[in-house]
Amino acid sequence: MRRATTLFSTLLVAATLGVAAPAFAQSPIQADGVNPMGARPTADSVNEEFLFKQSDKIQGRISIPDRKAANLIQPQGREYQNFREGWLPWIGALVILGMLAALGLFFLFRGRIKMEHSQESGKKILRFNAFERFTHWMTATCFIILSLSGLNYIFGKRLLMPLIGPDAFGALAQWAKYSHVYLAWPFMLGVAFMFVLWIKDNIPNKVDIAWLKAGGGLIGRGHPHAARFNAGQKGVFWMVAGFGAAMSVTGLMMIFPFALTDINGMQLMQVVHSVIGIVFIAGILAHIYIGSLGMEGAYDAMGSGKVDLAWARAHHDLWVEQEQARTASGPQLKGHPAPAE
Amino acid sequence: MKAFAAAVIAAVTLGVLAMFALTSSQKFAYQAFATSGARVSEPGTNLVGPRWNGAPRPDEFESEPHGKAEGEGSSPKRS
Repeated sequence: MRRATTLFSTLLVAATLGVAAPAFAQSPIQADGVNPMGARPTADSVNEEFLFKQSDKIQGRISIPDRKAANLIQPQGREYQNFREGWLPWIGALVILGMLAALGLFFLFRGRIKMEHSQESGKKILRFNAFERFTHWMTATCFIILSLSGLNYIFGKRLLMPLIGPDAFGALAQWAKYSHVYLAWPFMLGVAFMFVLWIKDNIPNKVDIAWLKAGGGLIGRGHPHAARFNAGQKGVFWMVAGFGAAMSVTGLMMIFPFALTDINGMQLMQVVHSVIGIVFIAGILAHIYIGSLGMEGAYDAMGSGKVDLAWARAHHDLWVEQEQARTASGPQLKGHPAPAE
Repeated sequence: MKAFAAAVIAAVTLGVLAMFALTSSQKFAYQAFATSGARVSEPGTNLVGPRWNGAPRPDEFESEPHGKAEGEGSSPKRS
């Protein structure tokens, strides 16, 4: 009997150890979450999530002076890549093609705004002097090159490279990049010149509100009052000034990379530069349309600098009165150009 | 037309001046970032070779490296 009791006790202890021992061995943590050694090796281990709570990127240690090379993981880079390769081409295509489609539809329904003839037809009045036209065209030619080379950054590899091949595209893209970086400087100078030249004539006032309420002459047949620049032209001026400044600042940040900001800032600069650039191009397309195809007589203002007096009276009547009052003898009306300012 | 021509000439001229100004302030990576204790790449070489298709020319290893960059690396240790 005693031997049977001893045998039973031995088997019971063995069975208990056989079941419980592996569990203790695998999980030293007690029921309260603290293991007998006082440590929580899994809970306190350094992981990616923990590191990102300390900083927005994970960096290592390097021995070369380029501290940027120490960057190991920057999750925002994936968001930037998603924008750059996913959203940006669609945004660019929709905005620019949408503007072209809108202008095409407007031309179909409204047609070209014709010049209205009067007794003053044939007489010329100086609208922009030589320096104003020089400034406009320097900025405009640079803008066209900057736009095409900028769009090449977005659409070149998708649209152009399949057509002309990788070698030709590589050479073209290289020269486009050079032109983009170098012609940015005369563009910035031109924007600064235009801002100084024309800001005094582009301060919004009550006349602009009436002009907008009347549809600006684009809707309907009438011509609301306007001074040297109407509300639409003032909109273009402030768009060029504002977008030009934003493109200049973000562009300079990219020409001198990492000078003032880190990788997050560089990616933000590219996002802002590209989005504003696309809207800028769409806005200037409308400006080009109304200054050439959309309105008869408008191109002369920046072509020769002189516009038909009847056209000026119809579109900028307050400005014509102001000019005629300023030159009481009417030298401009007799074919002797005088500065508009 | 004269204003337009002058504008184009001025734009090109300013662009060329910008090119010279920017180029003069640029450095190769091995010049800007190398120190006496660390060398950034081998000047004038790249990982894929001079022909960019990975296939070496027969005389490649007997002549000067293709497109070898000019200028000295920065010697002072900055880190």
